[in-house]
Amino acid sequence: MKILLHFLFFLFVTFSVFSQEKFTISGYVTDGRSGEAMIGAKVFVPSISQGALTNTYGFYSLTIPTGNYSIEFRATGLNTKAVTIDLTKDIVFDMELGTDLQEIQEVEVSAKRGENINSTKIGQIELQIDQIKTLPAFMGEVDVIKTIQLLPGVSSVSEGGQGFYVRGGGPDQNLVLLDEGVVYNAAHLFGFFSVFNVDAVKSVNLIKGGMPANYGGRMSSVLEVNMNEGNNKKFKFKGGIGAISSRLTIEGPLKKDRGSFVVSGRRTYIDVLMKAFIPDTSPFSGSGYYFYDLNLKLNYKLTDKDRIYLSGYYGKDMFTFGNKEDDFKVDMPWGNGIAALRWNHLFTNKLFMNVTATFSDYMFSFGSEQDQFRFALKSGIRDYGAKVDFSYFPNTRHKIKWGVDYIYHSFTPTSVSAEVDSVVFDTGEAQRLFGHETAAYVLDDFDVNEKLRINFGLRYSTYAHTGPFTRYIKGDLSTPDTSIQYSNGDLIKFYHGLEPRISFRYLLPDKSSIKGGYSYNYQYVHLTSLSAVSLPTDIWYPSTDKVKPQSGYQASLGYFRNFKDDKYETSVEVYYKGMNNLIEFQEGALPGDNVNDNTDNILVFGKGWSYGVELFIKRTYGKLTGWIGYTWSKTERKFPDLNEGKIYPAKYDRRHDLSVVAGYKLNDRWTFGASFIFATGNTLTLPSSWYVQEQSLLFNYGDRNSTRMAPYHRLDLSATWYDKAYKTKTDKITGEEIEVKKRFRSNWSFSVYNVYNRANPFFLYVDNDGNFLSGDFKITVKQVTLFPIIPSVTWNFEF
Amino acid sequence: MKNLFFLTFLLLTAVSCTKEVEIDIPGYKDLLVIDGSIETGQPPIVLLSSTNDIYSETNLQAYLDGFISGATVTVSDGTTTILLEELCTDNLPAGTEEIAAAIFGIPAAELVNLHLCAYTTFNTAMFGQVGKTYDLTVTYEGKTYTSTTQIVQPTALVETYWKPEGSLTDYGYSWAKLADNGSQYDAYRWEVKYLGAPVFKKTFNPFFDDDFFNGLTFEFAYENPMSFDDPNLPDEFKAFYKKQDTVVIKLSKMDRDAFSFMEKKYVQMYSAGNPFATPTNIPTNIKGGALGAWAGYSPWYDTLICVE
Repeated sequence: MKILLHFLFFLFVTFSVFSQEKFTISGYVTDGRSGEAMIGAKVFVPSISQGALTNTYGFYSLTIPTGNYSIEFRATGLNTKAVTIDLTKDIVFDMELGTDLQEIQEVEVSAKRGENINSTKIGQIELQIDQIKTLPAFMGEVDVIKTIQLLPGVSSVSEGGQGFYVRGGGPDQNLVLLDEGVVYNAAHLFGFFSVFNVDAVKSVNLIKGGMPANYGGRMSSVLEVNMNEGNNKKFKFKGGIGAISSRLTIEGPLKKDRGSFVVSGRRTYIDVLMKAFIPDTSPFSGSGYYFYDLNLKLNYKLTDKDRIYLSGYYGKDMFTFGNKEDDFKVDMPWGNGIAALRWNHLFTNKLFMNVTATFSDYMFSFGSEQDQFRFALKSGIRDYGAKVDFSYFPNTRHKIKWGVDYIYHSFTPTSVSAEVDSVVFDTGEAQRLFGHETAAYVLDDFDVNEKLRINFGLRYSTYAHTGPFTRYIKGDLSTPDTSIQYSNGDLIKFYHGLEPRISFRYLLPDKSSIKGGYSYNYQYVHLTSLSAVSLPTDIWYPSTDKVKPQSGYQASLGYFRNFKDDKYETSVEVYYKGMNNLIEFQEGALPGDNVNDNTDNILVFGKGWSYGVELFIKRTYGKLTGWIGYTWSKTERKFPDLNEGKIYPAKYDRRHDLSVVAGYKLNDRWTFGASFIFATGNTLTLPSSWYVQEQSLLFNYGDRNSTRMAPYHRLDLSATWYDKAYKTKTDKITGEEIEVKKRFRSNWSFSVYNVYNRANPFFLYVDNDGNFLSGDFKITVKQVTLFPIIPSVTWNFEF
Repeated sequence: MKNLFFLTFLLLTAVSCTKEVEIDIPGYKDLLVIDGSIETGQPPIVLLSSTNDIYSETNLQAYLDGFISGATVTVSDGTTTILLEELCTDNLPAGTEEIAAAIFGIPAAELVNLHLCAYTTFNTAMFGQVGKTYDLTVTYEGKTYTSTTQIVQPTALVETYWKPEGSLTDYGYSWAKLADNGSQYDAYRWEVKYLGAPVFKKTFNPFFDDDFFNGLTFEFAYENPMSFDDPNLPDEFKAFYKKQDTVVIKLSKMDRDAFSFMEKKYVQMYSAGNPFATPTNIPTNIKGGALGAWAGYSPWYDTLICVE
């Protein structure tokens, strides 16, 4: 409460100090070619060195003293436009960029030159989708998350994996949002591809530290993915044909300049290719794998002050395996469904509101049949959410946000059925858990003086675990199993907590600044994983009477400096993160059936911490762009019931992580990309000894995660060839030959993954072979490598 | 779930390549391994051995050197405590050679030339009895290890029968009908042998409990583990019993702790090397820092003649 009072007092003082005769210029910045909102476009007044950035919906609001100003509008990849405005009253001014046909020749990675120095954002990185498309692509599939993994402080869970760890936090500690809908599993094909179809994605924003108060529910990071809105001026088609999948996107106006739609679909054809190699007579006929996903977005401008957006995603993976000889069959589908309906309303030119209703569903299912035995397992999570966010721009020195957030969670950790012929086994009731998560927040991003800017926020969150629910209490030899029944709506456990967030920027001379941040977060949902790698079988589990919410804090401090007219952005950041109530399966746990049991009966709880330093050098524009990121870090865990209570390294503890990413635009026809990564090997637990029991060779595992795999390093290259943008045409009137822009454009994208064919470890295992008595018994450690050098080619088109 | 992990493992290994590597695996501890059991009408038998470093020698001598003698082993049923004798393979009582061979997994002819010791007793007062609880105490090199197990009531099979499998006429699985007691926890071990054979053999996954079928009556099939030892049997007939085979079925019950060890043991055996399985240290029911198990079994026997 004391903090809150200080905060309100500070707001009052700073409002008073800066109260002068001021007016507001506000409006939307859009891409003139498609009518789409420009996220993060900069509206800047050079004469007073003040400006604003557009929000996710392209809206900006700038309140400055009365006067005559030249105002610049700048956005990535488009020419800057300037207008002169005599500001003697509040003005609504919408700007379309990119209508002058002549796009800038250089690839500019960030429109917000100098913003990395000026903003209070620490640990935040924005990526433009056009930049991601120029980087090497695994099997031709351009991938948002694989690009994220090339950033400092972010590491992948495994070779090719989609799961990512941010500054020592687990993969469940990342809030992945697609148009504000929560994505619980961002992976296809056991993690090798992401659910984000790049043709449907407009921008990607990663917050790995200093999380603002408007975000919550996760401890480590926010990955915000915004979908394209669709062209509201004309119909367009684009797509690509690749080695393993193809995609097609259609967009166009619902009503010109008022509304648009975009539909984007993608499907792999591994199953089709496999059919060619598995004849119908084969016992494995019918086995295969495919995934597909579909993105849909509609937006409509109801009035000058009201806009609605409807976003949807549906994706599914299907793995089937059959062996006719053994009469064995497996079906394994899993996937996400996400929907978000948003309504923007402008109360005044300073007050912006967004109301969002979301639906998110993740489902995993496994069914098998062998002879007379049938078994099925289902797991999933379903959320219904609603939130209201307000943005208030009283003047250029303050940007205030507040809002409320509510999510109704329905978890099904496991639901099992099994039968033999007509006998149905008792698999107990399906475990279902229900929870209500709410939050309210307020934050202000404000200038204390010309050098010091602070972003201070408070978030208060609650979680209620409610019935119906059955708590199973397992007995032992002397006591029988018992249970407690909770009825529909019964409050089983209530958690709540205050989450202060603060970050600051202090400007230094020579285009440099110091930034710091502190955030405290609660997380009420948890991902439990049995395996060393992320799988769709990982189970989302909520906080219950047994499972406390995860909580943690992160403190970070950084020095930022730009060189050569902001061409080079550099930073050094150090961080420390503490985490409580982390969960793991207990030693030897065998989840899966959970018959008349609760999953949390086999969970154990502990804490963790991580710290590190991140170096980042980025070249933002010019023919050559890219970055070098290096991270030194240490991540540890301590669970009283694991590893004999001793501290152990997290499985993704990495001492060194280096990434070098480069894009080079040779000319209008050729663009080249390269990425190189080097990372200390992941840790894992291997048996340190063997013994014999009833003539069976058994293993005893050593300290948890005490073995470290060989370092991981890999070089990928890409080249993209574009057809000519213009064609020659004879003018019917003058007879002269003129150049006109081609309607149909295409490019060929060539990629080579793992250029020097490094045999990187995916995992290690201890193998034994032979027999003691025959003298050929041998125990060895084997390394499994997944991907050798893989060339690929994709043809992309649009018209 | 085990099938699921296995399938995922298969899928990935199908597209991967594997090579042998040398890597540091820290954390080796020299631990005592206790492999003890007692069953109805039988004496307690305890084998002691030690763990071996994962990179240690793996020849026959290393295996033999792992067995431990010189420990003090006692078993108590709550009223009587017996000190078990060390019975060594080079000094076996007549008629016990085949049993010893089965215990150590070494042919009887070779066993008599080796000095491998088990701890047991000929005192019939300590032969297993249904309903009793047995405490084991092992003292070795100044450390004491203890454990407790129960011999629970056995469960009889309602019916056993044989039927040909699919289009086969002379080969098929053995089938059984089990009526599980719904008022208690039940864990089972399934073993078989041909009539007249000296020792029972376990099936691929011989341990199961009633989590799924508590209180139900149902039928199930089991494969023939002996068929895999017959080099003359064509592969397509492996796992089946042949018409006219006579088989002795041994269905043993055990307590929850003993089952927990056995269940996890088989999970480890079948998931070793699979990255999707959690590293599973098998939970022992022995206190004091040793590995292994002390398990009480109460068997029920049935003889099945494989005819329709």
